[in-house]
Amino acid sequence: MVFIMSVNFHPRKLVKKTLETFYGLGAQTSARIMAKYSIHPLARLETVPPKTITSLTAELSTMTIDNDARRLVQDNIQRLRDMGTYRGRRHAMGLPVRGQKTRNQIVTARKLNILERGGGDRPMGS
Amino acid sequence: MRPTGSLFKGRSVWKGPHIVPLPIVRPKPGEWVKPIKTQARSATILPNFVGLKFAVHNGKVYNEVTITEDMVGHKLGEFSTTRKPFIWGRGK
Repeated sequence: MVFIMSVNFHPRKLVKKTLETFYGLGAQTSARIMAKYSIHPLARLETVPPKTITSLTAELSTMTIDNDARRLVQDNIQRLRDMGTYRGRRHAMGLPVRGQKTRNQIVTARKLNILERGGGDRPMGS
Repeated sequence: MRPTGSLFKGRSVWKGPHIVPLPIVRPKPGEWVKPIKTQARSATILPNFVGLKFAVHNGKVYNEVTITEDMVGHKLGEFSTTRKPFIWGRGK
């Protein structure tokens, strides 16, 4: 069991994939972080020394990721909603926000344009 | 870096915000003033609009909008919807 940011990961998991489980941290950022701590792109968590894991946690705790990042996006949408803008209303309805047609093919909008974008908070310690 | 960045919202800096001359009357405190009737939906909301009341045209009627601090940098038309939701059986 490896703990990063008080989240539990399997030791056989790729470090790259581990970092990318955090919301707001994608391929590019994870590659940069791994380069900074000289971890091989295909390394698994079991090969990383515990000292590096600690510094990884320290690095991640300074970034706006996971629940903070989610909160940021949701707050922006909620602000639009509270102001009563057209964009906020479209988010609440789950419809395209930027003037696309809605006759068909609005699956992405239905999925993403919601007030609680990015899903709920990550439960602690999972 | 750019203090007026919120006014542009992706617009070129050299153009500046889209400013429309509006008949703005500064209300004296405690005095009721008619909302500023306008069809300029594309007018950017400037910081000095905060607290004023606008009646923004939506193509049919004028919707009243009270400007708050958050709205600075948006357009007047964003707060006056132009579409009527379709409800089955309402007729016409």
